[in-house]
Amino acid sequence: MADTAYAIEVKNLKKYFPIKGGVLKKTIGNVKAVDDITFNVKRNETLSLVGESGCGKSTTGRTILKLYEPTSGEIFLNGQKISDIPRGKFRRMRKDIQMIFQDPFSSLNPRMTVRSLLLEPLLTHKLASRKEANELVGEMIEKVGLSKEQLDRYPHEFSGGQRQRISIARALIVKPKVVILDEAVSALDVSIQSQILNLLIKLQEEFELTYVFISHDLNVVQHLSDRVGVMYLGQMMELGETKDIYNNPLHPYTRALLSAIPSLDPYEKKERIILHGDVPDPSNPPSGCPFRLRCPKAHDRCAEEKPRFLEKEKNHWVACHLFDE
Amino acid sequence: MAKNLTAILKGRGTLNTVLDIKNLSIEVNTKKSKYNVVEGVNLSIGKKMKYGIVGESGSGKSLTSLAIMNLLPDVLKVSKGSITLNTEKSKELTKLSKREMQKIRGNEISMIFQEPMTALDPLYTIEHQLLEVLKFHTNYSKKEMRELGLDMLNKVGISRGKEIFKSYPHQLSGGMRQRVIIAMALICQPKLLIADEPTTALDVTIQAQILDLMNDLSETHDTSILMITHDLGVILETCERVAVLYAGQVMEETTVEQLFTNPSHPYTQGLLKSIRSLGDHKNTLYSIPGNVPTPAQYENMGCRFSSRCPHAMEICKSKEPSMYTVEKDHTSKCWLHEEEGVAYG
Repeated sequence: MADTAYAIEVKNLKKYFPIKGGVLKKTIGNVKAVDDITFNVKRNETLSLVGESGCGKSTTGRTILKLYEPTSGEIFLNGQKISDIPRGKFRRMRKDIQMIFQDPFSSLNPRMTVRSLLLEPLLTHKLASRKEANELVGEMIEKVGLSKEQLDRYPHEFSGGQRQRISIARALIVKPKVVILDEAVSALDVSIQSQILNLLIKLQEEFELTYVFISHDLNVVQHLSDRVGVMYLGQMMELGETKDIYNNPLHPYTRALLSAIPSLDPYEKKERIILHGDVPDPSNPPSGCPFRLRCPKAHDRCAEEKPRFLEKEKNHWVACHLFDE
Repeated sequence: MAKNLTAILKGRGTLNTVLDIKNLSIEVNTKKSKYNVVEGVNLSIGKKMKYGIVGESGSGKSLTSLAIMNLLPDVLKVSKGSITLNTEKSKELTKLSKREMQKIRGNEISMIFQEPMTALDPLYTIEHQLLEVLKFHTNYSKKEMRELGLDMLNKVGISRGKEIFKSYPHQLSGGMRQRVIIAMALICQPKLLIADEPTTALDVTIQAQILDLMNDLSETHDTSILMITHDLGVILETCERVAVLYAGQVMEETTVEQLFTNPSHPYTQGLLKSIRSLGDHKNTLYSIPGNVPTPAQYENMGCRFSSRCPHAMEICKSKEPSMYTVEKDHTSKCWLHEEEGVAYG
């Protein structure tokens, strides 16, 4: 039995997508979307996964939710190993772990009213009788800042921000313990985005939720997270408390990533590290460190040997040869 | 400071301007309804100037740029105002024929779109698409065109030009595609480059590369840039002047420096305050309450920001404010400035 202080534990998780080719459709290679990552999320904590597109942050989120079967590695939810539970049995546990998606326009069924959208998870999981369920729906819709009168409308009658509130209500109505938010505020305008972030923070306290927040927006991540994991090409490059990652980034990739955020202060002179080139093809990653082709500090050892993921400072992990003497 | 001063002078039209938009309104006209989605927009962009339009979705920023290019969809049309392009001689773009406009597009004004995946044709090689612009607008020989093309790719930071020439769009990454599109846009040395959310679909490290590149190229090519974005950070990185659009109207117009240090419209203030409070760990963020009004609601609502404004007064709900000058080179469309400011427009 694993330590239950953690809501989620992920050990040596790998998720490879096979590339099929040839006449017999044999596997001719693998896209290593997630390649050997280990981390855990404490209860009531927000852990953010950041990185550029293709770094494996969304795949990690979906594998935790068992929308993808992991290639290898272990996943624990509240101390219970879920990585080898068959899908059918896991369905019953899905109420403990919910997901909110980026696009509030495609994640809500346009033919269902808000009421039936919110009733459905309660009735599917047999959490309440129809009468009780109706009451719960009424309570929930007010918690996310909409009114009971809006329950009988259809999704197209709402704005993007309001739809995201409905998505949040639908995820939280089954009283989950863990919520995975995949770019949940990325599609929203700035003024709406802050409303939704405030709501997420309020609901986390109220329902004692654990968040895994997946985003490429480093400003939002800094605001919301307790800890941050920086991913690159399927691997965890750096993991630590938010203030350590932002004030004292160790990995050259994290430094470049943070320096690339456009500043909002006209008098701030920021030293920008411009990375050259693009993220390599994940089906054919470079040898050794995945970042070495773009790294300003790469040396011979980086090509030969994959850096170990080490706890360099207290609770601050990094995978880079510069810190492994 | 000297740089700022020239920027200011350019903005006021005392030096040559490349593009002048006067009192532009764009109207939706369907069988059922008829209303303005963009109303009374005034902008003037100086030579070599980098001008930003910032606004949320639905504010009309992209429609304004499409109107400049004469690419508005059928249901929309310019109902009022003028768009003047001053290159060798002045042209009123709204009055040009299709044919005349085709000569301008890609040659005197080019545009970069948000989505580098769909802006290139998947069926043609990069060489074909890049040189097509030259074929249409110039009389160069094939050899000269190839040389120009390779040179342009080099300028946008693609060193393996000959290889890239033979590739198809799907073989390139998002950042590379956006570079190719920038090369296409600049190959005829346009006087004005319109960039509609050029980096929104890109990752931050690639965004930094592309913005850097655009800044360099506008210096070396004498090109003015009209940058359209929802991201105030991108504006600060690249532009000299900026117009803040909300619900189809310009709410504030000034230099980038003044906008960030001394914003005067409550909407701009709210936007800046909400982005700046990010990072203050888990504290409640400042947020502008409510939602953006829809174009159908615009009529008779007074100031379009009044329903969300923390300073809203009685007059705001009934009467639309005019554009007031709040300080030198800084205008704002808000009743709060009625006493101190000088109204025009």
